[in-house]
Amino acid sequence: MPLLDEIAQLEREALERIGQADSLDLLNDLRVRYLGKKGGLTAVLKGLGQLAPEERKVVGAAANTAREAIERHLADGMARLETGGLRASLDPTLPGTGQYVGAVHILNQVMNDICRTFYGMGFEIAYGPDVETDYYNFEALNFPPDHPARDMQDTLFVEGGRLLRTHTTPVQARVLEVRKPPIKCITPGRTFRNEAISTRAHVAFHQVDGFLVDEGVTMADLKGALVAFCKAFFGPEVKLIFRPSYFPFTEPSAEVDISCFLCGGKGCQLCKFSGWLEILGCGMIDPNVLDKAGIDSEKYTGYAFGMGVERQALLKYRINDIRLFFNNDIRFLRQFR
Amino acid sequence: MKVSYKWLLELTGLDWPVEDLTRRLTLCGTACEDTTPIARYMDKVVVGQVTAVKPVEGADKLRLATVNLGDATLDLICGAPNVAAGQKVAVATIGATLAGDMVIKKAKIRGIESCGMICSERELGLSDDHSGILVLEPDAPVGMALARYLDIEDYRLTFELTPNRPDSMSALGIARDMAALGQVKLRRPESSVKESAGKASYQISVRLEDPVGCPRYAARVIRNVKIGRSPWWLRKRLMISGVRPINNVVDVTNYVMLECGHPLHAFDLDRFGSNEVVVRRAKAGEKFTTLDGREHECTPDVLLITNGKSGVAAAGVMGGQNSEVEPTTTNILLEAAYFNPSVIRKSRRLLDTVSESSQRFEKGADPNGIEYAINRAARLFAELCGGEVVEGIVDAYPNRIDPKKISLRPARCNALLGTQLPAERMREILTGLEFKVVGNDPLSVTVPAFRPDIEREIDLIEEVVRIEGFAQVEDSVSNVGPLFTPLRFEDRFKDEVRHILTGAGFDEILHHGLADSRLASAVVPDLPQLKLVSTASAELNIMRNSMVLSAMTIIGHNVSHRNLDLRLFELGKVYFPPDPTGRWIEDERIMLAVTGSTPHTWRETPRPFDFYDLKGAIHRLVDHFHWPTLEFAPEAVAFLEPQASFVVKLNGRPIGTVGQLAARLAKSVDVKQPVWVAELAAEPLMAVSSRVSTYEPLPIYPAAPRDLSLVVDEQVPAGAIVASIKTVAGEMAEAVDIFDLYTGKQIEAGKKSIAVAIAYRSRERSLSSEEVEAVQQKVIDELKNTFKAVVRDK
Repeated sequence: MPLLDEIAQLEREALERIGQADSLDLLNDLRVRYLGKKGGLTAVLKGLGQLAPEERKVVGAAANTAREAIERHLADGMARLETGGLRASLDPTLPGTGQYVGAVHILNQVMNDICRTFYGMGFEIAYGPDVETDYYNFEALNFPPDHPARDMQDTLFVEGGRLLRTHTTPVQARVLEVRKPPIKCITPGRTFRNEAISTRAHVAFHQVDGFLVDEGVTMADLKGALVAFCKAFFGPEVKLIFRPSYFPFTEPSAEVDISCFLCGGKGCQLCKFSGWLEILGCGMIDPNVLDKAGIDSEKYTGYAFGMGVERQALLKYRINDIRLFFNNDIRFLRQFR
Repeated sequence: MKVSYKWLLELTGLDWPVEDLTRRLTLCGTACEDTTPIARYMDKVVVGQVTAVKPVEGADKLRLATVNLGDATLDLICGAPNVAAGQKVAVATIGATLAGDMVIKKAKIRGIESCGMICSERELGLSDDHSGILVLEPDAPVGMALARYLDIEDYRLTFELTPNRPDSMSALGIARDMAALGQVKLRRPESSVKESAGKASYQISVRLEDPVGCPRYAARVIRNVKIGRSPWWLRKRLMISGVRPINNVVDVTNYVMLECGHPLHAFDLDRFGSNEVVVRRAKAGEKFTTLDGREHECTPDVLLITNGKSGVAAAGVMGGQNSEVEPTTTNILLEAAYFNPSVIRKSRRLLDTVSESSQRFEKGADPNGIEYAINRAARLFAELCGGEVVEGIVDAYPNRIDPKKISLRPARCNALLGTQLPAERMREILTGLEFKVVGNDPLSVTVPAFRPDIEREIDLIEEVVRIEGFAQVEDSVSNVGPLFTPLRFEDRFKDEVRHILTGAGFDEILHHGLADSRLASAVVPDLPQLKLVSTASAELNIMRNSMVLSAMTIIGHNVSHRNLDLRLFELGKVYFPPDPTGRWIEDERIMLAVTGSTPHTWRETPRPFDFYDLKGAIHRLVDHFHWPTLEFAPEAVAFLEPQASFVVKLNGRPIGTVGQLAARLAKSVDVKQPVWVAELAAEPLMAVSSRVSTYEPLPIYPAAPRDLSLVVDEQVPAGAIVASIKTVAGEMAEAVDIFDLYTGKQIEAGKKSIAVAIAYRSRERSLSSEEVEAVQQKVIDELKNTFKAVVRDK
């Protein structure tokens, strides 16, 4: 049927020209030309009346299909041109734009990671003052009166008789004094030592200490908790080794080494070819510490542990100069976005 | 603490390979930090005999030595002063690698070919001695490998001991742990001594004027010693332990100390100055010269050994020059004493001297190990120095220190450790460590005096687990502790501030909190300073009393490294001395700072950061935490530029400052570009923070937006215009936003153009345009009246 051919021809022509249109004005012209009152398709349909009813049905349907196709293409073309031109003019190699997002300080990131891991293990978070009394920093923690840490050489004192805490375990002493077991806390924060500033040492550093006091707490619980922490923090393959050590506020005391996460224990630069990395200290809370806080050490036992945040960050990111943390050079800070 | 590996094997009879030994000791708390093979620098080093020594022409200090190595004869250039024909020496041949990685090659010196080297102790890695070549015994077999001849296929083990374990500061002490681990009996070296006639107590006496500082003083007299060189086996052990051999008498006292841990001192009896030993506190100002030649002015903190008149030794620290053993010495007064640890600590601090002896006394020596130590040394004097040991020990020990008795409940031990060890195993461990154990439940344990650290049951439990091994304690996951873990808002607050501010493009900085008082005096002259008594460095002598101090330092660092564009924040504390009521204050603060410009990208051109960047960041926090409106009141702040200085107020109460850092202060940290800083107190803000805000239903009726463009005096605050519009329009003005601000060419000088978008909307109905126009007109009238505003064409 000649009319059907005419419709098909019209549709082909319209779709091609719509596809090539590069302005909204041109699209509007095309809409008028093909679908308008005097448009091509309308003209074709005017001839419908002369057809037999069966033919009219067929041609009418074809005309409607063509109209829908043209309308659809027109709408697509409009959307394409309205949203900013042809795809061909985009350069995907240009950098994206938008707001710069800053970096949380790397030490706070590591500290938060540690705290989150312990929080998931049921430890609440407790804080205390940086400027501490001798009592909470030393005496309540069973440091003998002439322990070398109480020297001016090791500890920074301030005027007025207080000192800058040398660890965050004083918070443990403060919490034990005012709360009743069971208590399960971590005590993150800043600590200070009277050190000359070098690549390996600084006057200030950060610690996360923690403790649990309840009836029936055993050294096995301590080991279980630290194994769980290390697997969560360093990865499930990590192995732990507990070496006896000495801290005034725990007994028995241990230092914990983990298998080197870089070489898996085979030996490398990071672990100085030992296969092990020293990462934290721990032990069962000394009965004297519990007694001083008014907790019956026959009834209750507890464990405590502590780790340096800088140490974990130095190891994890293989940073070789501890001063970088406090220099706050943004070229350093922004590496940890 | 350094000790020979072979010595430890000898004292235990165990044959553990060196890796096993160090690992097992480390796992029982006696941590071995380093293992150094002694013969490391002795490959291709052989025993040789010097057959001739000739001078080298044109070189005073060099000589040409001819050395017989048995199968070869070498000519060597030697610079040592003590080389002589006939000596047996250690010769490094071509290819040997000596200490300091010195490789021996053929060399031409002064035209003479030298084919090796005669070695000093330092070159062989034996000690630090480089004063001359090592001269071997005359019977050393020529041609034998030096390491074999010296019997030195040994290791120097370096132990890092914890401060609570003075008992392990000796070969026997470490061997004791090994014996307990290996379940063998410790082999104490023989200490029986053959005495000669004449009683020591007739020849000397001992008087303790300070029995607290010196609870026990024992002495022996040894006559007719011949001072000389110690035999090689003894010198070898001293060298491996890092102690320099001196002469046989001094070497024996050092050897016995290294062996059993008890420091001894040998006086020249003929130079002692009397026949009475008096132990007393020094008088204030009393002068005393130690054998290292230093003269000390003492105080009563120093405990002195005297001859009744003047000091002959600083007790437990160092002997005196006046009574030192010399090459001519023949008669010895041998001291074995027990001094109070804290007395020795004070004394050595005052004398500014740390010695092997003081280290052991201040950690706690064994008051009851004195007989063994003094007899062992006397036996060696007889054996190695030809001395005659005069009968008897003169022993002043007025108040005997008895061993402690402690009970150990096996059930308690297992309950604390989470183990099921039989009581028998506990007994075995403690007995292995030379504790005496009787009874079953509880075990009644007698603690030897060499373990001053063992005072309570818990200390015994530690001994049990230390020897049994932490590996024997299982990793338990039993459910102990509280059921719930509270999360307080303070825990979340800082995290959320960090999220908001990093999202706003700010990098977080972290400062240690110490500051320079001079900077603080310049920046915040009115704020009190918390001063450090002892300081790590002159620039860090107070705790910061303003976040601006640390921000300045950090901005200074960055700008000096050409990091010019900065948006920084810090959450931290400032510190003050106690207030009049004695309360110590640490105040949490939020600091923000900007300097430089926004990033320059292909799409955006940079503009300088300023006040509004800080205010914008603060307002992101206001929005997030639903803080009440903060007021930025123009008020002078000492460290801010007067034209750009604001106090931030929360409900009328000042909680911080914002503004441009005074240029003179910025310059003091070498920053010439404008720096904008804000410091806010965190606690009042935390108190008004709330994430729970009431839901507001979405509007049903359309808004009628109207723009308004005004010209007003430059001084009129934008906030006043917005407030005025809101007052006049009331609830109908849903939003009033400033969308343009202009001063410049098209506007009269002293005026500004300000454009405001107002969205009118009712929650009850659609507003008619007449209603909107009426209100808009009221707004315009009000602005004209109040601010003399000129409304520009709409």
